[in-house]
Amino acid sequence: MLSKKEKYQVNLVWTIGIILVWELGAFFLDKVTHDPMAGTKLPYLHNVIISIAQNFTELISAAGLTFSRAVIGFAFGAAIGFILALIMSLSKIAEKIALPYLIISQMIPVLGLAPIIFTLARDMNISRIIIAAYITFFPVAVNMLSGLNSVENDKKELLYSYAAKKKSIYYKLMIPYSLPYLFAGLKIAAPMSITASILVDMLGSSGGIGVKLLYSLYSGAKDVFWGSVVTSALMGILSYGIVILFEKICIPWRKQIT
Amino acid sequence: MNMLKEIETEFQERDFSKPRNENIEIKIENLSMVYQDKNGGEPVTALKDVNLEIKEGEFISLLGPSGCGKTTLLRIIADLLQHTSGKVTVRGQSPRDIRLQKKYGFVFQNPVLYDWRTVRRNVCMPMELLGMKKPERTSQVSKMLDLVGLSDFGKHYPYELSGGMQQRVGIARALAINPEILLMDEPFSALDEFTREKLHEDLLNIWNKTNKTIVFVTHNIAEAVFLSDRVVVLSPHPGRVSAVIDINIPRPRNMESKQTPQFYDYITKIRNSFEGV
Repeated sequence: MLSKKEKYQVNLVWTIGIILVWELGAFFLDKVTHDPMAGTKLPYLHNVIISIAQNFTELISAAGLTFSRAVIGFAFGAAIGFILALIMSLSKIAEKIALPYLIISQMIPVLGLAPIIFTLARDMNISRIIIAAYITFFPVAVNMLSGLNSVENDKKELLYSYAAKKKSIYYKLMIPYSLPYLFAGLKIAAPMSITASILVDMLGSSGGIGVKLLYSLYSGAKDVFWGSVVTSALMGILSYGIVILFEKICIPWRKQIT
Repeated sequence: MNMLKEIETEFQERDFSKPRNENIEIKIENLSMVYQDKNGGEPVTALKDVNLEIKEGEFISLLGPSGCGKTTLLRIIADLLQHTSGKVTVRGQSPRDIRLQKKYGFVFQNPVLYDWRTVRRNVCMPMELLGMKKPERTSQVSKMLDLVGLSDFGKHYPYELSGGMQQRVGIARALAINPEILLMDEPFSALDEFTREKLHEDLLNIWNKTNKTIVFVTHNIAEAVFLSDRVVVLSPHPGRVSAVIDINIPRPRNMESKQTPQFYDYITKIRNSFEGV
């Protein structure tokens, strides 16, 4: 178990290491191999940062558009996943009926599904939300269900010995017990929902970080392109961080693990 | 609402000079339990023709090696298992009725605490199920934590406690709704010797203070002798009662009781009753 100071040191070493490797790599391409495409393959990190600073308002508004829709979709997807898991846990028949189809649903590539949703919805925002929700519900449902199914027998027997009702069993035992599992699902789903939302941008939206990526790539604005890539990565990290924050608030009894 | 009043009243201290109550609390007649093998193998007879009467306010131990059916017997009394033949009556009613009236307190081999609840809220849980109001719950929890000596640990989470402390939380929780019958399934078997001896004395103190009937399952002969009024010796294959031994060591008992020749005589007597098996 690392102390706070040690954790800080680990993070510091990683950050400095990445910056160094990046800058050195760019330097190598630019000055050592004299690659004419060096700026596109791997531009200097400081150039990328400058480009982000110069296009800050544009990038932020594009990122905000994509991010907010992803968050709404994520919330819907998480709620649907949670409810599906509860239904499947309450009824073994429901589980037998639903689970194979849920798994099949995840075999349809999002890349193929997104245009279909877009044609049906005819609205960029609704499409983003639906696709983000579609990506989210499955890992949430499956993880939550495995949590509900792994509640130890003696914990259930305790409530049984007090003749507890089904509602109490779920409120007092099944759901709180499964929260860490639920969060495992949410942590997988959060960055994926951002990716899904970016993907929908690329189908021909008028705004969003995905559009920035696509246009800058084709127009050869390599610094803007790299700026957009970094912004997208930061969006994924941010979404993950938000889930971790909620996890810490909702699961105080697990402090000793993380 | 009647039950709430009952909890409100102070526990009455046991008076050992008075003759004991002779009412039968739990009556077991020709009880048999056969487990069907799900894979089509031979059915296993866990208990065969068990007859036993447990008196009100008695401390009784079910003692025996693994596979003798002692836990099975306890779980049948608790209505956690359904027996295959024979009859169990608790105060003239079925175990199921008694369970539905929430008159049992069950202490498991593991503490079975809910990790997401603090010590206070773990002890509180059965009272929530009973629909008790918050002020009553709060005062009762404080009283229970006092009883098991954990008043300073109410706000801690289970992972912050030692095994012995966790087990005491489990006992406090079982006592919280003032159940009339306390069923304990090897509650101290996972603890070290020092903690166990401490908890033995604590348990006897609690029993003195609360007048409960306690059915205590164990595989530890000394533990059974020290705690019990009567020890029921069970033998395996199939599980059956092979001896019932009255323990006449005077009460209240303490560490010195464990050093008397009488104490060792009982241990030898019980050990010998296994020899014949």
